[in-house]
Amino acid sequence: MSETEQKLRIEARALLEQGRVDYIIGYETGSLKFTTTPLITTNKDDVDRLVINPFIVNNLSVFLRETSGKAGIVAKGCDSRSIVSLIQDQQLARENIVIIGVPCSGVVDLKKVERLTGKDRDELDDIIWEGDKAVVTIGGVKKEFQAREVLLDDCLSCEVPVPQEYDILLDEVGPLVCDKELSRSHIKGLEDMPPEQRWQFWKNEFSRCIRCYACRQVCPACFCERCFVEESEPQWVSPLPKWQDNLIFQVGRMIHVAGRCTDCGECERACPVNIPLRSLSKKMEEIVEELFHYRAGTDKEAPPLMAAYKVDEAEDFIR
Amino acid sequence: MNQTSEWEPKILGLLCKWCSYAGADLAGTSRKKYPANIRIIKIPCSGRIDPLLIIRALRSGFDGILVSGCHPGDCHYQTGNYRARRRIAITKRFLEYMGVEPQRIQASWVSASEGGKFAEVVTEVTRDLKEINPNRLFTDERDGTKTTH
Repeated sequence: MSETEQKLRIEARALLEQGRVDYIIGYETGSLKFTTTPLITTNKDDVDRLVINPFIVNNLSVFLRETSGKAGIVAKGCDSRSIVSLIQDQQLARENIVIIGVPCSGVVDLKKVERLTGKDRDELDDIIWEGDKAVVTIGGVKKEFQAREVLLDDCLSCEVPVPQEYDILLDEVGPLVCDKELSRSHIKGLEDMPPEQRWQFWKNEFSRCIRCYACRQVCPACFCERCFVEESEPQWVSPLPKWQDNLIFQVGRMIHVAGRCTDCGECERACPVNIPLRSLSKKMEEIVEELFHYRAGTDKEAPPLMAAYKVDEAEDFIR
Repeated sequence: MNQTSEWEPKILGLLCKWCSYAGADLAGTSRKKYPANIRIIKIPCSGRIDPLLIIRALRSGFDGILVSGCHPGDCHYQTGNYRARRRIAITKRFLEYMGVEPQRIQASWVSASEGGKFAEVVTEVTRDLKEINPNRLFTDERDGTKTTH
């Protein structure tokens, strides 16, 4: 058990015991090796199951709206942005949340480790961070990898490894490794295509969509009580999973979460048919930043993007 | 559909009732000539425009969409056009990234006194759209789906 983990358990137990929170939302070890799964508990004995490791991938802020009362939540830098974004949208009251900030060294993409080592996850003994290197132990032999080789694509564009909004900060942060170009290489590839080819690409991708709405359910920014896809008057999209409607659903969703989406990448990870949704959400984040110099979830006092305006902005396309 | 010289783009005009719709009226009463490619829907304010309306218009086969409202500062509801501007800006840029030609999504500020400008805008938009192909974005060769054109 790491020192951070120890601190987390002590803090979480104290929060529950003192009655400062009703729930603790954190991570516990998953059923598969090198995975974690969300742990939501009111029981102080469960806090000993909480873990902090290089696999705490989920953005737990999505659960905040599902728990009533006060919640203590384990948040990485990126997750804290989602929480702030929810506060901006008045979906949460700041005083009802205790943010337990975890300085994050980045989340390891197990697929990348498997590819690099040529081993299956069960053959790997351990993966830990040592500074900016990931150390993988296989059969007692240690192998070092550069962070940028094994980090999740999301983490490659990381700017805030330390939560900007927190009540308790657990530890010092390791070195920030990011590689923005590598992180947006897929978007770059798409931008270089002619428009017809790009449309064809997305058409192919969305012809696989089975409209399971996992992307929507896992998204902290998708908090509408009733989603536009379920409206029947007017019926914006047909419930049948035809590529046209699948595409319209996702475009509509991306536009709706513009200015809320922090590019946490949960939608892409949740997608059962591997549609590269981050290539849409990240691009939307870029567009919003370029046009309005706005970054979601960085200022809890700021009005939400679409509820505000400036007199002089984005005029160039208007006749 | 073959693109021939006779091909005429179909444009959906979403005009705010306080400025642009009155501007379009003025264009008519002052006998300004402009292409008959635009189909106009009167809307209460450009801030009424949900990006989904734009996408839906493309899905149903319109070659282009023109959203038109009051000049900045002149909105009947004070801020509707500023809000519309943010929404349309991201919609346009995002759809462009997905592969929709930028000419398809157009916006203008036309006041009630600008009949001449309205005629010019429609002429320009029509010209822009004639430079690109008819909207076949949502047609599907495989299952024979046709957009209603």
